Amino acid sequence: MNDMRTLERIVNSEAIKISARNVQVHYGTTQAIKDLNVDILDKTVTAFIGPSGCGKSTFLRCLNRMNDTIESCRVTGQIMMDGANIYDPRIDPVQLRARVGMVFQKPNPFPKSIYDNVAYGPKIHGLTRNKAELDEIVETSIRKAALWNEVKDRLQSPGTGLSGGQQQRLCIARAIATGPEVLLMDEPCSALDPIATAQVEELIDELRAQFSVVIVTHSMQQAARVSQRTAFFHLGSLVETGETGQIFTSPKDPRTEAYITGRIG
Amino acid sequence: MNNEPHIARAFDRDLEAIQALVLRMGGLVEAALSDAATALETRDDVLAQQVRAADVAIDALEEQINSECARLIAIRAPTANDLRTVLSVIKIASALERCGDYAKNLAKRSIVLTAMQPIEGAAGSIRRMARQVGLLLKSALDAFITRDIGLAEEVRQQDQDVDHMYSALFREFLTHMMEDPRHITAFMHLHFIAKNIERVGDHATTIAEQVIYLATGALPDAPRPKGEAVIAGLKP
Repeated sequence: MNDMRTLERIVNSEAIKISARNVQVHYGTTQAIKDLNVDILDKTVTAFIGPSGCGKSTFLRCLNRMNDTIESCRVTGQIMMDGANIYDPRIDPVQLRARVGMVFQKPNPFPKSIYDNVAYGPKIHGLTRNKAELDEIVETSIRKAALWNEVKDRLQSPGTGLSGGQQQRLCIARAIATGPEVLLMDEPCSALDPIATAQVEELIDELRAQFSVVIVTHSMQQAARVSQRTAFFHLGSLVETGETGQIFTSPKDPRTEAYITGRIG
Repeated sequence: MNNEPHIARAFDRDLEAIQALVLRMGGLVEAALSDAATALETRDDVLAQQVRAADVAIDALEEQINSECARLIAIRAPTANDLRTVLSVIKIASALERCGDYAKNLAKRSIVLTAMQPIEGAAGSIRRMARQVGLLLKSALDAFITRDIGLAEEVRQQDQDVDHMYSALFREFLTHMMEDPRHITAFMHLHFIAKNIERVGDHATTIAEQVIYLATGALPDAPRPKGEAVIAGLKP
């Protein structure tokens, strides 16, 4: 079938961006993730779904070492990005986070102007030499986040003055301003209304042309809508991963089926 | 398959409701087919008229099933096995609607045939074929409700018996027509009836294939055994 939609749905890349092997995560004595193996493809949206406490957010936070900030958290195993172990002691987590951006559940703009919110990352990472270059990055990032037309006349107003949906798109603009290779999104739409949600989803679909997006979501329909690959987590294990359409029409594991159909699993 | 109830109990009730409608539709179609064949055999125009009139109810049920399914998709966004159930229900209802039309057509031709000179034996053969196909339809629907892949597979296999019955009738009718051209009109009607009953058998097979899709997530890949083609019967 050579129709447009089928072509569009095909995962453009078989290139593996991130590869996790035997990942285990402990918070103190509690094991949050058990022996997890997964490959995340480049230029693809991967959705992590699963009930609360299944480890999907924990695993997402492993991908840019956000878990380093939690005292009791211990990560073992191997997470390779482009063939390099991101837990290698020689890797600077701050540099890593410029390459692996993150957007959180609640919009959290800095208490600064719209412009400064987006300019902050490129500034501290020294990505620009002059004001003109910085202006350009800010504009491109805000445009990519589909926010430009709404804020171009008030770049100096505080980011916190925007609506919830606009704030979240500002956070996405901030995350893509450092030119990341991977964008992690932890429930990016849970605080947004349906229109703002649709805008963010459309944005995610456009962003996958440039990098790999990993999204954690509690909305199964959202996972189905935005992703090309879906991974189902349950009790700290990765139960099933596959092409999104396959997961939602004929999942292989009965636990996946029970969860996505809304049964008591 | 997952037999656990949904957390949203109304979802279970919605799914049960559409399947119950399919069963009711199946019951009406089986009765229509059997009554039409009886009307033909007993030259009973009143019964044939009843079959023709009853088709309205079958069509109405299909419409009701379609709108219930559309509603369920819109409201519940079914996935996996639930989605396959809804898709199967729509397909099966559409197959049953066609079967209903064939029964109605049989009744219509039966009325035409009663106005003609009776033909020895033909109506009895058609009656037997209709009973066989009615059983296939019933088995296919039983397999659907119990998600019985084994029974569905049996239906697929048994459809070739119907194909054989049709081929035999085709040859028989052809011989009669050649022997006595005065009966061509009657035999043409009888042939269309036989052909239509054979098509009902094909729809029973479609339903059986839907059961396999529903239970396994994939349509059967082995080609279904086909009875001897009529074309072969035409060869000298």
